[in-house]
Amino acid sequence: MKGGLSNNHIDPNARLCMASAVTGFLATYGVDEPAGCYDDLDACDVLITWGNNPAEMHPVLFSRVVDRRARGEKVIIVDIGTRRTRTTDAANHFLLMKPHGDVPIALGIMHLLVKDKTYDDRFVQNYCNFRHWASAESALQGEPLAFDEFQQRLEKYTPAYVEELSGVPADQIRMLAEMFADPNLKITSLWCMGMNQHTMGTAINTLVHGVHLLSGHFGTPGDAPTSLTGQPSACGTVREVGTLAHALPGGRLVANEEHRRQCEEFWNLPPGRINPIPGYHTVKMFDQFTKPSAEGGDIDTLWVQVTNPGQTLPNLNKLFNDKQGLEDKFLIVSEVYPTATTQLADLVLPAAMWVEKNGVFGNSERRTQQWFKMVEPPGEARDDAWMIIAVAHRLMELGHPGMLDRDGKFIFQVLDEQGREVPVWEFEHYYDVNVDRHLFEEYRPFTVMKHKNLAPYDEYVKARGLRWPVVQQPDGSWRETRFRFAAFDDPFVTEGKEFEFYHSTTGDGRAQIWVHDYQPPAESPDEEYPFWLSTGRVLEHWHTGTMTRRIEQLARAMPTAYVEMHPDDARDLSLQSGQWVWVESRRGRIKLPVWIRGRGRPPRGYLFVPFFDESKLINVCTLDAIDPYSKQPDFKKCAARVIKVAEGDA
Amino acid sequence: MNDAVHGQRADRWRRLSNVIAAAAIALAVVGYFIGITDGVPRPTRAGFPVDHHSPVVEAQENAIPSLHYREIPEKYVRFTQQWRLQPQPLSRPELPPYGTELHPDPQAKLASLRRRSQTRAFNGAPPVIPHAIENTTDAACYACHSQGMQLEGLRASIMSHAFLPNCTQCHVPPPPEFVSPEDYSPPDNAFVGMQAPVAGPRAYPGAPPTIPHATSMRENCLACHGPNMGWPGMETTHPWRMNCTQCHAPSAVLDQMPDTSPIRRALYDSVFDVSR
Repeated sequence: MKGGLSNNHIDPNARLCMASAVTGFLATYGVDEPAGCYDDLDACDVLITWGNNPAEMHPVLFSRVVDRRARGEKVIIVDIGTRRTRTTDAANHFLLMKPHGDVPIALGIMHLLVKDKTYDDRFVQNYCNFRHWASAESALQGEPLAFDEFQQRLEKYTPAYVEELSGVPADQIRMLAEMFADPNLKITSLWCMGMNQHTMGTAINTLVHGVHLLSGHFGTPGDAPTSLTGQPSACGTVREVGTLAHALPGGRLVANEEHRRQCEEFWNLPPGRINPIPGYHTVKMFDQFTKPSAEGGDIDTLWVQVTNPGQTLPNLNKLFNDKQGLEDKFLIVSEVYPTATTQLADLVLPAAMWVEKNGVFGNSERRTQQWFKMVEPPGEARDDAWMIIAVAHRLMELGHPGMLDRDGKFIFQVLDEQGREVPVWEFEHYYDVNVDRHLFEEYRPFTVMKHKNLAPYDEYVKARGLRWPVVQQPDGSWRETRFRFAAFDDPFVTEGKEFEFYHSTTGDGRAQIWVHDYQPPAESPDEEYPFWLSTGRVLEHWHTGTMTRRIEQLARAMPTAYVEMHPDDARDLSLQSGQWVWVESRRGRIKLPVWIRGRGRPPRGYLFVPFFDESKLINVCTLDAIDPYSKQPDFKKCAARVIKVAEGDA
Repeated sequence: MNDAVHGQRADRWRRLSNVIAAAAIALAVVGYFIGITDGVPRPTRAGFPVDHHSPVVEAQENAIPSLHYREIPEKYVRFTQQWRLQPQPLSRPELPPYGTELHPDPQAKLASLRRRSQTRAFNGAPPVIPHAIENTTDAACYACHSQGMQLEGLRASIMSHAFLPNCTQCHVPPPPEFVSPEDYSPPDNAFVGMQAPVAGPRAYPGAPPTIPHATSMRENCLACHGPNMGWPGMETTHPWRMNCTQCHAPSAVLDQMPDTSPIRRALYDSVFDVSR
């Protein structure tokens, strides 16, 4: 796409999921993805969940923590959330916060650490700088800040003021600060969509990293700030290989001339092939796609693979459903099942599932895993990668100059052991060689610049996944890295140093501790729309449920979306569990059954609706306000009202 | 002078030790009598229970004072001390006498298999939770499922695996209470799951059969095959032998990663009779 068509309009579903985590890592460490790994869960004394519900959304990882209790170990779980969930059931402390309250909570902890001088002075002196955004135009690097200025900026975030902003009692803020002040505790922070789908997403990500850095709870097993995002290969197939509108493989940027030149070198492309202007991010892309061409909607054809934006985009009526009836817009969808996206597709291509093709996977703890095809795809279903290669080859036949490299050869040319070209664009020959292996080896040299080094493909066949950077040892074996930036485990830390942030944005080996000011959410409840509306997932269904809703036991357990509300709110509206209501925002409305005292228990004035149910698309109500840096929409906060459905109004 | 002071001091000590000894004995005696009671007031005279038709009930001092129903919400009614000190096991059925051979009923087995299959996505999958759950903390599930329990037609099965606190990670709960079965239409899914196990192969005639199904993470065979808490019709014929895997080897084929080698394939086919 970028190297062949010179087109940067490619963006992942991850834009809706973890873009803020990426900008948070970049702004803090200068390089994406967590420093720690899942081993932290085995070692931590305190686990803080910042607005996420791992008991339902990351059940296997959560079990890894609570199973430790069954073995007699002590783990304190602190759950910070806007409603009570299954995670709260297992938590020792529950901090009920107002939506957007995470920002003042983090600032409040920092305030107390600095005021009581309980921060880790040695760690901060040696390994950290202070940053802030001086103006709205500041880039991710920000501007430097002296320690006393930093202190000044934190001054107003006293426990009392934080209580006012976040709704969390001042005593609980002090409790958190005391935990961070204790150097003997091992503290792991986990977060997911609560912090990422946030109009201050980048800010809150950097703040939580900052709390850990300021208190020195960093870099030893069990002491880690960890974003849980990136699980179904969003780390591998998006963040590492750079399938974002502004990115190139291996942590490179479209806008950076040197990076473009390096990519053209690796791909053997003529210089200047890669377009220097970043493409549209997801929200903008769909906005331009659903806008009539006459009104400036300059995206006319869209090819969707491995994601279901017809259900997951915010403000669906505007960003997706408006495509309906536009004659000059063409939507191609590669899918396994009929979905909300295929509803409006002009062309559906049958795709192979992950077990029906070879693949490589990269997850949240930087682990790369490889697998071989396990079953044959049914009918004419084909690998997504094959579809791209086949289309590219056809373009070459039609004379598109971008499909040829510097030497006039096909850009996806695959040679067999004898050096003969294999016609992989014909599906009968796609599995004559391992195309995955070829693509992986082509990608490997890209990873070295940002120290995300990978082992050769064949090593992953032998191993059950390896966490990068994977570095070859003198004896020829390949060693993975569990804890980045820490000398005891990371081979790239300069000898003699305890920690080194070797991609520091300030070039001095230091991480950045940020300070931001609290800003209110993009939309808050008012008289007309008095409720907060948040969306999320449930244990039974994976995202839009395209697969899990086809499993009888899971579909039966959670057959329908619902709206959770507080019993008192339900009483005021004369509602009982199971009664139907309209949940309505300024953008759309949707009919849902009410579930009182259900899976989650929201406070008064708060609604929660899961988004898995394609027959009840809550995303017609959600807001498309985005974080200014990550461009990730805030699905978690908007204003809504509830109207009882009159009998007979089916 | 010195001696006299010494004498006086020794005398005082002797007297004090007598007082301490007396106090200790007195305490022991009182403690003995208190200790053997559990704190429950006991009638002091014969004539108990009191005839409640008697008009002078209130005057009788040997009556144990009882609460009026009205008073219960305000009073703190506790378990007795003794009750609290002892573990209170739920009554469990007795094991059959040593050496009693059981003869599982094939009809009951068929019925059990049918019931089992209704609560599982496929053979070997973790069963779904067939009852409403309110509380998802570990202790809530453990209360009934650690030892198993049988109540009027309801059977809380014994956990077949070691205690793991996050039960709902694998065991799927029932739908929200307002969803009726009519609201639900089964998805279009042709997945049939794994084959049901058939009799496990034996090393030689008369040898104990190997376990014919994958054990997955299950280690307590008696959860299903036990004489009391197991599934009807699936009980072991020899319930006095409790260490099952001493003689019944787990399957080498089923509990390993699949392998397409001809030997494995033949073994697999011998376990799962594919012609059936």
